[in-house]
This record gives sequence, structure tokens and C-alpha cells, in this order.
Amino acid sequence: MKRREFFKTAAVTAGAAALGTTAAEAGVTHQPIDNRKIGNVAFPEKRPLITYSDRPPLLETPREVFTCALTPNDQFFVRWHMPDIPTYIDTDKFTIHINGMVKKELKITLKELKEDYEQVEVAAVLQCGGNSRSAFDPTAGGIQWGNGAMGCALWKGVRLRDILDRAGLKKGAEWLAVQGKEKAAYYETPNFIRELHLDELDDHVIIAYQMNGEDLPYLNGFPVRLIIPGVYSDSWIKMITNITVTDKYKKLFFMDHAYVVPDNECECETPEKLFPKTKPIYRMNVKSIIGYPTNGAKLTLKSQTVVRGVAFDGGAGIREVQISLDGGKTWDKAILDSGKLGRYAYRTFRYGFRPDKLGKLEIMAKAINKLGEEQPLAKDIKWNHGGYKYNGIDVVTVEVV
Amino acid sequence: MKVMKKVLLAALIAATPMMAQVKEKIEVPYIAFPIKMGKGFDVVQANCLMCHSFGYIINQGRQSKKFWEGKVNKMIVHFKAPITDKDKKIIVDYLFKHYGNGKEQ
Repeated sequence: MKRREFFKTAAVTAGAAALGTTAAEAGVTHQPIDNRKIGNVAFPEKRPLITYSDRPPLLETPREVFTCALTPNDQFFVRWHMPDIPTYIDTDKFTIHINGMVKKELKITLKELKEDYEQVEVAAVLQCGGNSRSAFDPTAGGIQWGNGAMGCALWKGVRLRDILDRAGLKKGAEWLAVQGKEKAAYYETPNFIRELHLDELDDHVIIAYQMNGEDLPYLNGFPVRLIIPGVYSDSWIKMITNITVTDKYKKLFFMDHAYVVPDNECECETPEKLFPKTKPIYRMNVKSIIGYPTNGAKLTLKSQTVVRGVAFDGGAGIREVQISLDGGKTWDKAILDSGKLGRYAYRTFRYGFRPDKLGKLEIMAKAINKLGEEQPLAKDIKWNHGGYKYNGIDVVTVEVV
Repeated sequence: MKVMKKVLLAALIAATPMMAQVKEKIEVPYIAFPIKMGKGFDVVQANCLMCHSFGYIINQGRQSKKFWEGKVNKMIVHFKAPITDKDKKIIVDYLFKHYGNGKEQ
């Protein structure tokens, strides 16, 4: 959307609100909840984070971490689906089993993974499809995440393509079912499996054993997880034990019922009339988060202030981040980092200014990617029942004293 | 021989490109989430806690009766939780009473 068109749309929507359209019935969107307290208990290899659940562990990264291009491992968010997570991995015995429609089944040990294949690195953002879900009203189903169900890391591992080449695909092979080690309490519960089409595999899809130069933390999928840059994290299977090659797509709970959005152009619906057809969430949309200042911060009048944050998208790359200090009337370009981490990573941005008026000040950040796609205002985002893919313009309210 | 073994072991350790930063079993802490007490709580505890913490319940936000019914159904249909019809009703009533938004739909 061109900037001018965007403002037109925004103005029309604002007008509708002023006329008293009962937006709540249609489903509305606002800024996600942002005042959650950090827990007082640290999980293994983590600093205390915002804690939603211990079993399975669900931990959110606080906003102030989103000033760095790479999220520290001990502050990286955590999201599991099943109650039973292996709490010990024997690294000598652990193997990844490649089976199904392959010419040669493989059982790859960690040592083989690190020594027998070409080692590659990719910096990429890992974001839960439900990140910022608390923005949706009526409340969308699921954990009411703020903005911190995301992080960016430098992942090191082996191309999945290279592993499949080693195994050799049989004729007719089309799908991969990737399975991790987390287990349900009941045998009958479906396993958390993700199906990938072979066409989705490019050179950036890797099985990673290292994150920011260290072993993956247990809670981020030690010893190996799948990395699919640009794609929401429900596909990034943790503690991978098995990859089965098949010719047919198997219907799966998590892909076909859980992580889905309405299969229409706006990917939207209303609470009264849910759209009957759905599709799995996949590529991430353009988004930015302000890491500094945070909501409620006090800035000093006339003192030089640098707004900092991160921006990313599904892999097209970030073209520009703009900042507004007047409620979105005017926008000014922020300075972007060099982008040397690549198109799947965070681009950090910074914007210097001197607050010149006492009182409340709203700082807004908007990212635009290289395809020209830009973040909409929160209120222009359409509702969906799962509360997925929120990417509203971030707003932080500070006080100038 | 013993010395030899030790040397070998040391060499092996040195040759391993990376030792895990965690060498023993990890312990995931238990968090006491402030779940509300009330009628049906014992049934909620017996059924829901098998698979997930109370954090999972209280962090869903306030929801309609239909939503909570849907959630419990999901646990039964998709996650195969063995919840009886009698317990299902008690659980939904409890969830709606303490974590509901007052709306049926």
C-alpha cells in the first residue's frame, strides 16, 4: 500500500470509529498488553522472564531486549506444546532418524552432524504466530502474549537439503514430517509434527545445533531444531528426532486446526461469523518493536534521546523504519543498521530527538519492507479467532519531565 | 592401564568439538499460579493438571462460555483427554464462573 492510500484508509477507519460503529462486535484490535511483570523464578539457562506456564514452559522476552540485533540466549522466549519435555539428552546417543521414502535410512549422531556435513550459519527471526495476541478484542483464543514471543539468533547447523541428498529421495517423495521429542501425557494425543513440502526447502533451511555461538538452550530445543527463516516458529520443530519422507500430506492437528488463519484475502473474520475455510500460518509479515524507551519511561525535557528497536519481515528485507512523535501525522526516517546479518534477521533502528514538550509523548514505529508492505495501525488490523499474525504499528507512551 | 584410560578419556573430551553447557538433567521449576478456588476446582485439578499448568488457564484472558466449552472439547477431541461428560460440565462451569467474560457466546 502506498503511503497516501494508507493514510486515506486510516482516515476512513478513524471516521467510522467516530460515527460510533460498534467495533467490538466486529472484532477490534489495540496495542498488545505491555505491562506484564517478569517472573521471580529463573528457568534452566534463562534469566527470569515473563512466565505464563511452567508445564509446558511458556516464557516471554521483555520489551527492553528488543534493542539488539541478536537476542541473548538466556532471554530468548520459550514455547512448548506438550507437558513432557525430555530434561536430559545423552549427546553421545542422540540421533536424528531419516526414514520413509529414502534410498538409505540415516541415523545421524550429533558428532556426524557437526563433522560430516558442510556447516552453515543463518541469522533469522523466530516468532510465534500468536505473538502480540493480546491485541485482539474480543480476546482471541490462546496465550495472551505481549510483543515478546520472538527473538533473533545466529543459527549454525547443516542444510536439511544436504542431509536428504545423503539419504537419497525415492521417486514420488514430496513431503517431510518433522517430529520432535516432546511428549503428551496420554499416548493417544497427537504428536507435535510439522509437515513441510520439499519445495519449501531452500539453502537457508537448516538443522541447527548452535545458537549465537553456544549450544541451543534446552528450552529452545537442545540439541537440534529446525530453522526455517522467514516462517512462523510453529514449523521450527525442537529436539528433532525423526524426519519421515512421504508422498502424501497427512492431516495434522497442529497444522490443520491449531495454527491456522481464515483462508481469504484479508485473513480475517468476525467473532459472529467465522470464516469456514482456514489455512496454516506461514510466512511472517512486516513488523517492528521499540525496545527503548519502554512504556511509562520518563524522558528529560530537551535531553537527547535515542529511540531503538528492531524490524523484520518474512525475508524480503526491511527498506525503512519510520518514527512518528505526533500520533502518526508526520513520519521521519530512522537510521538502520548495515543489514549485514541478512534479510531474515532483525534490522535494528535508531532515531535521535530532543523532547520539547512536557507531559505524555507517544512514540510510534512503522517498518516498511522491500516489497513496499508496511505495518498498519493497530486499529486497522482485522480480527481472526486464533489471534495470529498481529503486526500493528508499535506505540510506546512515555512522560517528558 | 588406568593411566592410559584416563589419557584416552582426556583426549576424547578434548576432541569433542563442544561440550554441552548443561551436563546433567535440567530441572524445570514449579510455579504456583494464583488459580481461583471454587466449586468444581477439584475436578479441574484432577483433569486439567494432567497435561498443563494452571498458568495455561489463567493466561487465556476472560472468555465466553462458548469459548471455554470449545477449549474443553478440544482437549477431549484433539488431545484425547479422558474427561467424562459429567466432569466436562463441571469444568466449563468453573472456567466460565472464574475466567469468563459474562457472555454465553
